Amino acid sequence: MEKDLRRLVIKAFHVTEVLEGEENRVTADGKLSINREVLKNILKNYPLLEKLDVQIIPPDGRDRYTNTIMDVIPVSTKVLGKLGEGITHTLTGVYFFLTGVDVNGKQAHEFGSSEGNLKDQVCFGRAGTPGEEDFILSFDVVLKAGMGQEREGVLAAHRACDEYIQIFREQMKKFRGDKCTERHEYHDIVRPGKKRVVIIKQVAGQGAMYDTSLFAKEPSGTAGGHSIIDMGNMPILVTPNEYRDGIIRSMQ
Amino acid sequence: MGIGPSTKETSLHHFRDPLLDVVSSDEDLDLMGIILVGTPQDNEDKLLVGERAAVWAEAMRADGAILSTDGWGNSDVDFANTVEQLAKRGIPATGLKFSGTVGRFVVTNDYLGGILDINKSKEGVETNVLGENSVTELDARKVTARLKLEMRKRQKTAISSMPK
Repeated sequence: MEKDLRRLVIKAFHVTEVLEGEENRVTADGKLSINREVLKNILKNYPLLEKLDVQIIPPDGRDRYTNTIMDVIPVSTKVLGKLGEGITHTLTGVYFFLTGVDVNGKQAHEFGSSEGNLKDQVCFGRAGTPGEEDFILSFDVVLKAGMGQEREGVLAAHRACDEYIQIFREQMKKFRGDKCTERHEYHDIVRPGKKRVVIIKQVAGQGAMYDTSLFAKEPSGTAGGHSIIDMGNMPILVTPNEYRDGIIRSMQ
Repeated sequence: MGIGPSTKETSLHHFRDPLLDVVSSDEDLDLMGIILVGTPQDNEDKLLVGERAAVWAEAMRADGAILSTDGWGNSDVDFANTVEQLAKRGIPATGLKFSGTVGRFVVTNDYLGGILDINKSKEGVETNVLGENSVTELDARKVTARLKLEMRKRQKTAISSMPK
């Protein structure tokens, strides 16, 4: 007999309209607006960063320059329970790109970088990249000189982006669940008598642009996260539902 | 060397990881959990963390393990060692890693036969195109099927060596 350990429900809200507006706001019926004014306040918290910008890239606007893509981040938030159980709200149709360069034009990357024409530098439609029809919000960071290769500089870029995304997360917590466009239910299941297997993921843990953050408060977030480097790169066990609820924030 | 754009697993990739989807939905398998292990710089530490991962798997009484990494180059040391540590404990392991033409294992041992290449670029190189060489559902299905085969082989050997 199968044993059901816990349930995770991920409710997706599809965004169809992304515009510049008077405030940073997302609604359950799929409208998202951005306003850059708030970035000035966020920047004050990060002395290693020089400038922050956010740009809307519509699906037909990908023939343009991008700085190297440090991460692709889904916008998700916990509504009930902790990571791995309860209810998560997430947006589909729009994903954040965190891109970075320092004041001298040096790209923030570790081994190989993806700056160039956006339409050529991304293989769209993979698990880790947006689809052909998705909007991209490019959160572009200019770091102080040399900081794109320093752990603290890179962390600051991730944190600044996370702080901005949190504005939308707070609004998504109040979305009425029945307005979602997709509902996915996941169970951590024990299947007695079947072959017992474990997945071992080897993740980055050597330094700046080669780091992995775990156990943040929000799905795919940074606040409250612990770096695998700080945990001595030792093996950490997570449940399938914790994993699929965004317990890993990629920092390489 | 480390992780380039084409193999790099973004936060979005982890959020909807095809390997997890395939393994957790396979009703022949009891997925116990996911072990996340880092890649230290120091060589002794590389060997240590891989051994600790294998000890975890052994203590969980795993019948098999699937490894996956988005890095290559010096992190092959970690990867090859973890496979070897599992093998020494009698746990069959298969895995996914970028090799292509430029990322073949920098170290090798006798247990890497079940490691499949995730390269998708024509030249077998790091193309700097985000996601191009990343793990897809097809890769995940192949490596899972391969593990099932390895586990079955192991079972047959165990049965045939039993006293009559």
